[in-house]
Amino acid sequence: MNKEKIVMAVTIGLVCMVLMTVMFAQFRTVEQTDITGIETAREEELRTMISSWKTKYEETSTQLEETTQKINEYNEKAASTEETSVLLDGELQQTSMLVGKTDVTGEGVIITLSNNEDKEIEYTDLLSLLNELRLAGAEAISINDKRIVNMTEIVEVNGTILINEERVTSPYTVKVIGNQTYLSSALSLKSSGFIDKYTNLGKTIKMTLEKNIKILAYDSGNNLMEFKYAEEVQE
Amino acid sequence: MNRKKIAIALGTVCCILVIAILIQVNTIKGTNSTVSGDFSENSLRDEVLKWKEKYDNASTQLDNAEKELATIRENSSQDDESSTKKEQEITLNNNLLGLTTLKGKGIELVVKDDPNVTSDTLAVLDDMSNHIVHDGDLRRIVNELKNAGAEAISINGQRIVTTTAITCIGNVIKINDEKVSTPFVIKAIGFPESLETALNRNGGYLDILNDYGIVTSIKKLDSVTITKYTGVISSKYMK
Repeated sequence: MNKEKIVMAVTIGLVCMVLMTVMFAQFRTVEQTDITGIETAREEELRTMISSWKTKYEETSTQLEETTQKINEYNEKAASTEETSVLLDGELQQTSMLVGKTDVTGEGVIITLSNNEDKEIEYTDLLSLLNELRLAGAEAISINDKRIVNMTEIVEVNGTILINEERVTSPYTVKVIGNQTYLSSALSLKSSGFIDKYTNLGKTIKMTLEKNIKILAYDSGNNLMEFKYAEEVQE
Repeated sequence: MNRKKIAIALGTVCCILVIAILIQVNTIKGTNSTVSGDFSENSLRDEVLKWKEKYDNASTQLDNAEKELATIRENSSQDDESSTKKEQEITLNNNLLGLTTLKGKGIELVVKDDPNVTSDTLAVLDDMSNHIVHDGDLRRIVNELKNAGAEAISINGQRIVTTTAITCIGNVIKINDEKVSTPFVIKAIGFPESLETALNRNGGYLDILNDYGIVTSIKKLDSVTITKYTGVISSKYMK
């Protein structure tokens, strides 16, 4: 009788153990297969990829059309030096504008960063702002009228911020030309946007939207934009 | 009597366990169905490939058109002195914009995540993010190189142009909207000694990275080739 009881208890105990083990094994499996989070993220990622390739395709085909048109114009006007000259002027003006050699105007935003009693604006703040602005599609940028071109650096030497090797001081007025809506909404995203992030650190930052901003050309006084070491590779 | 009670109790426990198992089996089935149901994901993937192919084609055509334009521009301006000058400045501008492949003296810098730390060997109070290369590190290196007079820079083949943003979304670093990952190969054209010193000096940025276990190596080269930017630099808003 007593023996029988023990056997029963052991059997039942074993069954329970087996059931428990199966359950734990299943918990594990569920944990591993619970990739619904990643799964939706992947779908979202795929959608982002599509729209990014699409944008690139559209930009490239617009550019292709323009280039093809230029080729045709040169072909048509090859006979006349004067007309060729007009075409060259057009191309020269366009590329000089993109490089930053000309004054430009357009819609955009003006951001002012200033030192306050507690916090100073550091050169790295300006570097992060430039990165955010480029991400939001800025076409032209200047800080205290120093034009930001491709090879512009922002450095700090003995507590002084230098842009294009010239001294700039607070308040820093950052003028930006580009899509006003993209620029302003990217910067003013709640908590993760540049303005919120740096305001929360105690820094003074203001932004205004302007319809007609003028950004001055790069001043080549200190540094001509030219190449000493690099040469074009003819492919 | 007592036995009956025990039997009922055990029966109930078993019942609950069985139900729990059944529920779990169902849950797994449910998650499986979304995993295998990536039919829509596959069609999305197809679409990604479709647009990428269209872009690749357009990009190749644009390459050819630009070469043709450069030739025709040169040919039609060679008889006239002022035209030749303009043609040369257009070429210089395109070089400055990063729209052409450049070659010259310079350096190649390789920056890698700390190879000795993985999420398994990470100390309890440590953070993985202390051992990997961040977007901010790359921006700082680029800024240092520009300051040292770099004439052209690329990171893992992505040319740094005036519109280039280096960002991080989740744990993916993107340059020119393209994913890049460790090891980062940074090429720069310029005076090799200046470029090297700017990064390698005592207390310089590479020192700071090395302290975190980030692996860096830098070499001066007589010839560095930096490929062109494949995107478009546009002017929709400025005049």
